[in-house]
Amino acid sequence: MEGFYSFLEKNSIYIVLFIVLVIWTGIFLFVNSTDKRLKGIENELKGQK
Amino acid sequence: MINKYLKYSLFVLMTFVIIAGIAFPIVDQPKEWYEFPMIPGLEEKAKIIFFHVPTAWLSVLAFLMAMIYGIKYLRKQDLNDDSKSEAAIQLGMIFCILATVTGSIWAKFTWGSFWHWDPRETSIFVLLLIYGSLIALRSAIENEEKRARLSAVYSIIAFLTVPFFIFIMPRIMAGLHPGSANDDTSGPVVDFKMNANMQMIFYLSMAAFTILYYWIWKIGYKSLIIRAELNNKN
Repeated sequence: MEGFYSFLEKNSIYIVLFIVLVIWTGIFLFVNSTDKRLKGIENELKGQK
Repeated sequence: MINKYLKYSLFVLMTFVIIAGIAFPIVDQPKEWYEFPMIPGLEEKAKIIFFHVPTAWLSVLAFLMAMIYGIKYLRKQDLNDDSKSEAAIQLGMIFCILATVTGSIWAKFTWGSFWHWDPRETSIFVLLLIYGSLIALRSAIENEEKRARLSAVYSIIAFLTVPFFIFIMPRIMAGLHPGSANDDTSGPVVDFKMNANMQMIFYLSMAAFTILYYWIWKIGYKSLIIRAELNNKN
């Protein structure tokens, strides 16, 4: 475990990489769920017409 | 809104660009496929190219689309075109702010402080003011047809300044930004200082950001159209 911490200390770029990947995954999931919800509303409106 | 396969390809593509753009090392003499060359003046900070340039490119694309749909509205008087233009303006502002923030962070580590009023920084600031005023103008008018007409005319006039502020002014004036008049090169992107692999990651990044923009833009304008439809019903 100590070796892992010293690796991260010397290579902090991997922490940055991890954070950016988490943010990107969050953005993707958010946009994807908005997309699905909007499709649902569109279908609902089409059904009303 | 977009094809399922395109959506998942975007996720994989952007993930790859993030991993390559952040973790691939920059060395003096690249020997392995994953090594990027040292670009004089940029060094390790050259990695900003994969994120800063696509955001700036997308702000230009979004403002161009705002103008195109503005023209379409003036020709056909279709409020859906106004919604498409509005979604493009909103996204253009977001990407313009992202380009400013990423550039400013890069400036801190390259030039020593976040803001210098360099011609490139000044031009993007003026652009933010121009399009910020357009958003303020839109929110100040209640009549939707009048708002759409004025917004269309404004977006056409505003876009005329974009090539000048993005491509011309920062290149004819002396400044700190790569590619300025006092720089011997035209900047790492135009001069192709990147090796083939770095260029490939750069173009993949441009493609991934463009697909992401297109997806969000479609969601944006469809939600605006639905909101207008629901308002008209009530």
